[in-house]
Amino acid sequence: MANVRTRQLFVGLGFILPNILGFLTFTLVPLVVSFTLAFSNWDLHLHNMFRDEPLRFLGLDNFKELFHHPDFWQYFGNTLFLMMGIPFSMAGSLGAALLLSKDSKTKTDLLKPKLLAGAVMLSCFLVILCLGLEMSAMFLLLSLLFGGIVIGGVLGGITVYRTLFYMPAFTAGVATYILWKKLYNPQVGPFNQVLRPFLDSLTSLVQSMPVWVMSGLSVFLVVAIFIIAASYISKLGRFWRTEEVGWLTLLFALLITLVPIFFASKVIQHWHLGFILSVAVIAVMGWEVWSSLFSGRKPVRDRAKGMGEHLMLSVLLLIANFSLIGISLVIWNLPSMASDGLNPPEWLTDFHWAKPSLMIMMLWMAIGSNNMILYLAGLTNISPELYEAAEIDGASRFQRFWHVTWPQLAPVTFFIFVMSMIHGLQGGFEIARTMTEGGPAGATTTLSYSVYIEGFETGRLGYASAVAWALFVLVLAVTLFNFKFGNRNTND
Amino acid sequence: MTDQQTKTKPQKKSEFLSFGSWHLLMTFFGLTMLIPFVWMVLTSLKPLAELGNDSWLPSEAQWQNYKEVFSVIPFGRFYWNSLFIASWVTFLQVLTSSLAAFSFSRLQWPGRDKVFLLYLSTMMLPGLVMLIPNYQIMVKLGLVNTMPGLILPAAFSAFGTFLLRQFMLTIPSSLDEAAEIDGASKWRVFWEVILPLSRPGLITLTIFTFMGNYHSFFWPLVMMRSVEKYTLPIGLLFFDSERGQSTHLLMAAVTMSVLPLVIIFVVLQKYLTKGIQLGGVKG
Repeated sequence: MANVRTRQLFVGLGFILPNILGFLTFTLVPLVVSFTLAFSNWDLHLHNMFRDEPLRFLGLDNFKELFHHPDFWQYFGNTLFLMMGIPFSMAGSLGAALLLSKDSKTKTDLLKPKLLAGAVMLSCFLVILCLGLEMSAMFLLLSLLFGGIVIGGVLGGITVYRTLFYMPAFTAGVATYILWKKLYNPQVGPFNQVLRPFLDSLTSLVQSMPVWVMSGLSVFLVVAIFIIAASYISKLGRFWRTEEVGWLTLLFALLITLVPIFFASKVIQHWHLGFILSVAVIAVMGWEVWSSLFSGRKPVRDRAKGMGEHLMLSVLLLIANFSLIGISLVIWNLPSMASDGLNPPEWLTDFHWAKPSLMIMMLWMAIGSNNMILYLAGLTNISPELYEAAEIDGASRFQRFWHVTWPQLAPVTFFIFVMSMIHGLQGGFEIARTMTEGGPAGATTTLSYSVYIEGFETGRLGYASAVAWALFVLVLAVTLFNFKFGNRNTND
Repeated sequence: MTDQQTKTKPQKKSEFLSFGSWHLLMTFFGLTMLIPFVWMVLTSLKPLAELGNDSWLPSEAQWQNYKEVFSVIPFGRFYWNSLFIASWVTFLQVLTSSLAAFSFSRLQWPGRDKVFLLYLSTMMLPGLVMLIPNYQIMVKLGLVNTMPGLILPAAFSAFGTFLLRQFMLTIPSSLDEAAEIDGASKWRVFWEVILPLSRPGLITLTIFTFMGNYHSFFWPLVMMRSVEKYTLPIGLLFFDSERGQSTHLLMAAVTMSVLPLVIIFVVLQKYLTKGIQLGGVKG
C-alpha cells in the first residue's frame, strides 16, 4: 500500500516538476528574500561592487519611515484617488452589458435591417449635401464611420458592437497610453482642438446668465447628495427591520455615507450645516429603527449580516457623492472663471487635472473590458422565469432591474468590485512611467510607481521592499474582505 | 453565446428600445470607443507640417511614414524581439501549466490539495513584491540584458495552471478511466486523451499569455539595457522620449504595434470570452 502511495506521489510530482522548479526560483524564494529585505538597509549606494558594507537589519525602521514620510501618504492618496474611477467603470460595464444583452437581431426579418441601413446611409448623404461639402472632409469621414458601424451592427448584431466596445481594453498597453498622451497634448492635441470652440460658446453662455442660475444648480447638486444619502440610509433602516442586515452593517454604512456630507460642509465652510444634515439623515434611519423597536421585534442575531454587499454599496455611493461635490464646486465657480474666458485644461501637465485625465482614459479602457464580458455572462445566466414572474406581478422596467437583475448579478458585481480594488491598489505604474513620469509634482505617482522609483532609480532596495509589502498588506485586506463576505454573497 | 442569449431573453424586454434606436445608441457608443483609434491612424498618415492643423485629415496620405519608422528606430528589431519572447514564453508556459494542471486535476497523490492551495495563494501576491529579489537573482545568474532573462521567469504561471485545471475538471473522468483500463500509462492519458480534449482551454491560455507578454512592460524595462534588445513597449517608450515631436511617425509605430492585437482579437474572440468567464466567475 505504501508503495502505491509513493509511486503516486512520484508520478504526481513528476508532472508538476517543471512548474514547481520555476515556482520555487521565481516566486517562493524571491518572496522570502523580499520579506527579509524589507527589514534591512540595503541601498545600492552602500552595497555595490566598489563598496561593500555589511548589510544591517533595522527591524521596523523602514516601516516607521514609511508611515512618517509625507510622500508615502501622497502616493497612497493618489492611488486611492485613481481608484475612484472604479464605480464609474463598473456602472459603464453594466450599462454596456445590459445594452448588449438586448440584442434584437433574431426578432426581425432581413428586410428591416436593410431598410435601416439604407435610411442611415441616405440621411448621412443628405446631411452632407445640405451642409455643403465645405463642411470639411472630417464630417464626411465621421458620417461614413457612423453609417459603417450601423450597417455592420445590423448585419452582425451583438458581435460587432461587442468587438468595438472591447477594443480599448484589449489593446490597452504602452501603445495606447502613448496615443492618449498625444490626445491630451494641450496645444495640438485633438481634445483641446475640439474643446476650444465649445468652451468659447460656453463662456458667452455663462456670462449671459445671471449668477443665481449657476449657484442654484450647484446647491441643487448638494441637495441631491443629501437625498441620495438619506434614501440609501432609510432603505437600510427598512432592511434592518426586515432582518436583512445587522446593526453593525447599519453603523458602518451610516458612517461611510455621512463622510461626503461632512466633506461638503467643510468645503463651503459651514460646519453647522454638516451637523444639521447628518442629524437629518440619522433621523430618517432612526424613524425606521424606532418604529420597528416599538413593534416589539428582537434585533437580528447576526450583527454583520449583509456587511459585504452594503460596504461595497456605500463605498460606491461615497465615490459618486464625492464626484457630485466636485461637479457642484466647478459649477459654483464657473461664473468667476468665465469672466476672463474659459481655457481648455492643460490635462497631464496640470497638477489638478493630471489624475482626472488618467481616470478618463482608464474609464475608456475599462467600460468594455473583461468586466463587461463577466456582466454579460451573468445576465445570460438569469433565468427568464424570474422576469416573467415579475412581469405578471406588473413590475415596471425599473422595478424589474432593481428587484431581479441587480440582486441576481450581485455575486458578479462583488467579484468585479474586489478584483478592481486589487488591481487598482497595484496599478498606475505603466501609466505613470509612459505618460507622466509620476508628475507633475508627484500628482500621478502611485504606490507601485514609487516602488519602481525607490528600487531602480534611487536604489534603496530595502525601503522599496517595505513599500511593496505595505502594498501587499492592503491587497491582503481586500482579499480577506472578499473571503469573509464574498461567499456569503454568492450563496444568497 | 449569442444564440443562447437571444433565446433566453423574454421577447418583451427589447421593446424598451426599438430596433432602430438600439442600433443607433450602440453605434454612438461604438464610435466613442473607436474615435481615438481613428485619430491615431489619420495622424500617422499626416506629413510633419500638418501635425498642428485643426483638421484631422492629411491633405495627402503619407504611406511612407510607415516605412520611415523602420529607418528612424530599429522598429523591425523591436517587433521581432517581442514576437520571439512572447512566443517562447507562451510555449513554455502552456507546456508547464498543462503538465501541472493534469497533475492537480487528474492524479491522486498525498499533499496534492495543499500544494495547489499554495499555488493559488501566490496568485494574489502583487508581482511588485517579488520584483526586486527576482532582479537580483537575474544579476547573480548573469541573465540581465539577455533574452532568457525575460523568458524564464515568465514561463511558469500559477494563473495558467489554475485556468487549465478548471478546464480539465470539466472533462468527464470516464474517458481517461477507459484509457487506463486499456493499459495506457499516465503519460499517454495526458498526451492522448486529456490534452486533445482541453484544446479550447489551451487556446485560451495561449491567447492570454501571448497578449500579456506582448504587452509586458515592467520586467523588460528593468532588464533590458541595450536598444537592440528592447521589446515593442520599451521601444515605443524610447521612441517617444527620443523623437516625441514626430507625432506622425510615433502614431505609425503605435498603429503597427496595435494592429496584431486587433487581428488576434477579431479572429479569436470566441475563445477569449469563454476564457474570461472560466477564469473569472469561478475564481
